[in-house]
Amino acid sequence: MARHLGIRAALGAVTIAGVVVLTFVLMFVVPGDPARGIAGPRADAETLALVRANLHLDGSLATQLWSYMSGIVRGDLGVSYVRREPVTDLLAARLPATAILACAGLALSVVLGSALGVWDGLRPRRSRLLATINVGLLSIPTFSMGFTLLLIFGYKLSLFPITGGTGAANLVLPAVTLALWGVPYYASVVRDGMQEVLAAPYTRTAVGKGLPRRAVITGHVLRNALSPVVTMVGLDFAIYMSGVVFVENVFAWPGIGQLQTQAFGDLDRPVLMGTVVVAAVIVVAANLAADTARMFLDPRTREQPA
Amino acid sequence: MSADLVISGLRVGYGDRTVIHDASLVVPAGRTLVLVGESGSGKSTLALAAARLLPPTARVDGAIRLGDVDVTGLTGRALRQARGRLIAYVPQDAMAALNPLHTAGHQIAEVLELAGATRRAAAVGARELLAQVGMPDPEPVARQYPHQLSGGMRQRVMIAIALAAEPEVLIADEPTTALDVTVQAGILALARDLQVRRQTTLVWITHDFGVVAELADAVAVMYGGRIVEHAPVTELFDRPVHPYTRGLIATTRDTREGAPRTPFHAIAGSPPRGAAPPGCPFHPRCGVAMPQCAVELPLPEGVAPGHVAACHRIGAAA
Repeated sequence: MARHLGIRAALGAVTIAGVVVLTFVLMFVVPGDPARGIAGPRADAETLALVRANLHLDGSLATQLWSYMSGIVRGDLGVSYVRREPVTDLLAARLPATAILACAGLALSVVLGSALGVWDGLRPRRSRLLATINVGLLSIPTFSMGFTLLLIFGYKLSLFPITGGTGAANLVLPAVTLALWGVPYYASVVRDGMQEVLAAPYTRTAVGKGLPRRAVITGHVLRNALSPVVTMVGLDFAIYMSGVVFVENVFAWPGIGQLQTQAFGDLDRPVLMGTVVVAAVIVVAANLAADTARMFLDPRTREQPA
Repeated sequence: MSADLVISGLRVGYGDRTVIHDASLVVPAGRTLVLVGESGSGKSTLALAAARLLPPTARVDGAIRLGDVDVTGLTGRALRQARGRLIAYVPQDAMAALNPLHTAGHQIAEVLELAGATRRAAAVGARELLAQVGMPDPEPVARQYPHQLSGGMRQRVMIAIALAAEPEVLIADEPTTALDVTVQAGILALARDLQVRRQTTLVWITHDFGVVAELADAVAVMYGGRIVEHAPVTELFDRPVHPYTRGLIATTRDTREGAPRTPFHAIAGSPPRGAAPPGCPFHPRCGVAMPQCAVELPLPEGVAPGHVAACHRIGAAA
């Protein structure tokens, strides 16, 4: 098991390196000159050359990539062109806000979605209510959901603040928006899992033992039906953590997503690269965590070769 | 405590499809009935009906009685208490029938805990049951998960689960089909031993006449959802009446050394899928069918004491 995880971790490191190289090359070939962006449109050639030299933009792709990669290893992600602050500081300032929002949103999705899925899965026939909720939520884009919630609960009812901030009251609406986005997925996966497990021969064995229905459900059905949720949480946590751009922008939530949008507008390469590196690390780490959790929950995954 | 298992006029259907027509059987207490027939003949459905484990979508008519207990009429708490204790069921595919997330020991102990044993006593009891079903070293087996066990071990674990509540009737649905021959022999020996020690009534489903010879006191042959012949085992082998039973016996070969080499007989055609043909369900494949067979359903009639068959040839010149 430890060996299996070690191999997965090594593969993860390779994945991160690959993502960094690919993104770096893409940034390099993308049109737009950061030096001109910094020096201004009327700067003369001499100034531009000076700016380039300062930012080490005059080297070849290979030397720039090498210096960037060795910077990552030292924990140095460069300095923002626009804000003149180390990228690591900018990210560190934003990461907690994103983490809080991601955890709150994800926890709500999992709890609400699984509860709906279990409830519907225990019914002999599919509930029209759940189907309606699912289709409804899936067809509303996240940002319109966000604006609608903001309009109703923030503006009309004045229950929650509409200006940005990181207080508990500020958290509610963005977290609910995120959660409503995730609920249909969790509800469907859990519902299908319940139906499948309820029809499984081992559930029949449990019924045949004479166990009360409650014991059949809690002892044999739930753990089997909920196991895909663990993998989904791993994937979703990574997505939520890399900054859910729309939600953060609608609610002026000062997280990674907002930082990324601004960096895009400013052509602020080091910041953009920084958000990509962080996202890659989180995706790999979250999947590794989900894998580990599954090994504890499902004995069959413990002996699988990598 | 032991009582006869009596099935009379059992009819099982899903929607407008009838899977079992008017099945009637008697298994005396402490005896073994072997149920034979091709796949799709309704053997498993009959077994699940008797164990009260059919899905809720199944329509069940007729009566299944164990002594003075009306098994088909049980509901709620009484039904729950009858499951496992009166009638226990061992399915064909033990891998699918064991919960992949629990150890073998836990899955057996659960039954003992339900009967009131403490957690510790149940764990000990589970190991004793594993020893009883022929596991020389039960401790590691009890700690293992189903996917870590061999096919024969999984089937023994299933049997241990079924025996845990000391049922009066044990219904085993082709429990040896997926196992290799030596393991099969072990399971059959276990079944015989069990019967001697506990006086358990056995209903054993198979399509292997070797198993019939090994285990049966009586045999019921199913075809197309009907019991076409029902007789004591020696009577059935000596004087099979139904052409289908004769065909089945002819398909089994004596593979002992020195036995005469006989040509291999197969029954032509395949069992009906979906709706059964009018008349006798077997007539399209029957070598001795008469015009009457395509029109009129033969009803079961006695041919000897304890020997019943449903064929128009009975009485007519054979």
